[in-house]
Amino acid sequence: MSTAALTHDSHNGHAGAPPATAKFGMIMFLISEGMLFAGLLGGYFVLRWSESGFPWQPGYAWPRGEGLPQLPVLLTTINTVFLLASSVTFHMSEVAVNKGKSGLSWLAATIFLGSLFVGIQCYEWWHLHHEGLWFNTGGTYGSSFFLITGFHGLHVAIGVLLIVWCFLRQALTRCFTPVHHTALANVALYWHFVDGVWLVVLTLLYYV
Amino acid sequence: MSATTLDAPAPQTHDHHAHHEEPGFFKKYLWTYDHKMIALQYLWTALAFLLLGGALALGVRWQLGFPGAEFPLIGRLLPETVAVDGSIIPGGYNMLVTMHATVMVFFVVMPLLIGVFGNYLIPLQIGAGDMAFPLLNELSYWLYVLSGVFLLAAFFMPGGAPGTGWTAYAPLSSVGAYNGTPLGQSLWGIAIFINGLSSIAGATNYITTVVNMRAPGMSMFRMPLPVWSLFITAILLLLAVPVLSAAAAMLFADLNFGTSFFSPAGGGQPLLWQHLFWFFGHPEVYIMILPAMGLTSEILATHSRKPIFGYKAMVYAMVAIGFLGFIVWGHHMFVSGMNLTLSAAFSISTMVIAVPSAIKTFNWMGTVWRGSIEFTTAMCFALAFVSMFVIGGLSGIFMASTPVDLFVHHTYFIVAHFHYVLFGGSIFAIYGALYFWFPKMFGKMLNETLGKWHFFATLVFFNLTFFPMHNLGLGGMMRRIADPTVYEHLRQLQPLNVLCTIGAIGLGFSTFLFLWNVVVSLRSGKQAPNNPWESNTLEWTIPSPPGHGNFATTPTVYHGPYEYSVPGMDKDYLPQNEPAPSTARLESH
Repeated sequence: MSTAALTHDSHNGHAGAPPATAKFGMIMFLISEGMLFAGLLGGYFVLRWSESGFPWQPGYAWPRGEGLPQLPVLLTTINTVFLLASSVTFHMSEVAVNKGKSGLSWLAATIFLGSLFVGIQCYEWWHLHHEGLWFNTGGTYGSSFFLITGFHGLHVAIGVLLIVWCFLRQALTRCFTPVHHTALANVALYWHFVDGVWLVVLTLLYYV
Repeated sequence: MSATTLDAPAPQTHDHHAHHEEPGFFKKYLWTYDHKMIALQYLWTALAFLLLGGALALGVRWQLGFPGAEFPLIGRLLPETVAVDGSIIPGGYNMLVTMHATVMVFFVVMPLLIGVFGNYLIPLQIGAGDMAFPLLNELSYWLYVLSGVFLLAAFFMPGGAPGTGWTAYAPLSSVGAYNGTPLGQSLWGIAIFINGLSSIAGATNYITTVVNMRAPGMSMFRMPLPVWSLFITAILLLLAVPVLSAAAAMLFADLNFGTSFFSPAGGGQPLLWQHLFWFFGHPEVYIMILPAMGLTSEILATHSRKPIFGYKAMVYAMVAIGFLGFIVWGHHMFVSGMNLTLSAAFSISTMVIAVPSAIKTFNWMGTVWRGSIEFTTAMCFALAFVSMFVIGGLSGIFMASTPVDLFVHHTYFIVAHFHYVLFGGSIFAIYGALYFWFPKMFGKMLNETLGKWHFFATLVFFNLTFFPMHNLGLGGMMRRIADPTVYEHLRQLQPLNVLCTIGAIGLGFSTFLFLWNVVVSLRSGKQAPNNPWESNTLEWTIPSPPGHGNFATTPTVYHGPYEYSVPGMDKDYLPQNEPAPSTARLESH
């Protein structure tokens, strides 16, 4: 138990929770987010399970020859590399801040890679829509694909906005120092979490 | 996120706050970071929803007791989708049932137990100045209000409010052509989603606060049982609510984007909804009863002047209930055509829950046994809670058994059962806790005479309303029928339906005794001392109502919360922040 928590000043809206407390709270929130994706992916899994040839039998990949487009697996795999790279650059920015530097260039790189991921996902949605796959076509295939990647894409987009917010705060006020960068650390936790979820989504939706 | 939080621990003093000017109306009542005021925001909003939910229930009962008769007073004011020429139509009846249940579960019982008592008691009972994240706390309240606005807006949509029950079973809920209220149902989904965000924000806050902000000496096993119960409840919320959010998102997509999660035509499965819903729905049952158990434990120990019997057993029982709550959801689905082997497994896990529940019941009796009982209104409600919970719990064991459930599931036996745990359980505990903590919240005692009238009226009318429903159910009356008199085999049961309706009207009026008590006591009630019940927990060591920042100096805790009638001591209670005299023989460490 941290006694520092008791200094927390309730009358002052500007005071934040101590770093360890804030981090703990973020982890609790992320557990809950994990359950959201568990619900979505669990539902998808149940629907998929009831189909023959699942999982991992050749010739049974979704969609099964109903004139529906195949998912651009290669493009998405490349896109995944961008997303994972953005986790690395975010971590590097934290390392830089810990060393007393600004970490701004690493943050900029993270924003770029994150936006690139969102952009390519948007392109993918547009492409699939163009080819005739949408929420309401392709049965549970279209339903699951768009709802789950939609929820995930929304999380990435919110993450990018949060990183932009960190970037602006750091650029304007240099508020993140080696001893105090709670907000940055928590956004990083969120970002790594969203990346981790993506690997599960990628595996379940694209690869099997 | 300012650097000030890194400063060395400094005791919070009231002089420290003295130079702060009094905040304006907006900052004090509408957008506040004070957990106590947020609790009161929840209280007034949830009580308003209680009146609304009660009115909806009276609509339901009126129609069942006197089918087709004009609804008195406001019948002709109701929207066309609910009543025509003042009498309730079948579709409107479904809307009343659905909205009554949704309002009561998500907008009354959860906010009252978790929003009010969670916010009020957690920081005070663990000796903290506030919640870990005050802004998130206030945000959680306004998300709750926003979700309420979305829900109520459903009444004004073309087609009206959803009529698919609070369980919103697919495909009735997921196909607009089936339910006729795609807009209302979509708004219901949005409301549930936003309400879920509010719950998650609250749960994150509570868990973080309990784990990180306890006063020196307040070890986990010195925490009062309300804090334990709310802590476990918050964990359940954190894990269960997002799954409902996912399901609500799928439902919304099915209704509006043409997806086919729950529609067999596109390869979807209606049963998937039931699994997702009840994966949330059963932990939800414990979310609505665990805090009630914690609050009741506190009242029973204080007013029996005895330590809680088996403190650790109480904690472990709640942990066990919380865990088992996640693996019993299938018992809501015995009649769904689910695999029978799976049914058997869910049957067994459900019956196992009776064990920790019984442990708690016996411990409550052990607490009261040979105590010097003070029959305050709070104590009466707490004792009634135990009794009513036992009735509801026992009928629950009937339904845990698949063969029995197959016969009673679609009947009023179920309605009787869950009202015994939700009203006889949760609401009775809420009333008890309100009488118990009202002096702390407002600095005024609630009137005991009016309180006793309120208690006996509630107890009598509650049983008059819901006990006959057991008989109705076993007599074969189905749930969710708008007019029992059109069924030959139900006509002989109609007098019982009339009896239930009379009980419900009485129950409705008994609520006004409480509200009247609140108004009278706030205006001219007896001034509340710091510790009116001579209770041990930390909130009673500070003024009523507590000032901003709660504790003048951070309290130090020396022992557990239930040291009543300690041998070797002069007074029969020992607040947690008072070291015990050397002659005292304590229960706790």
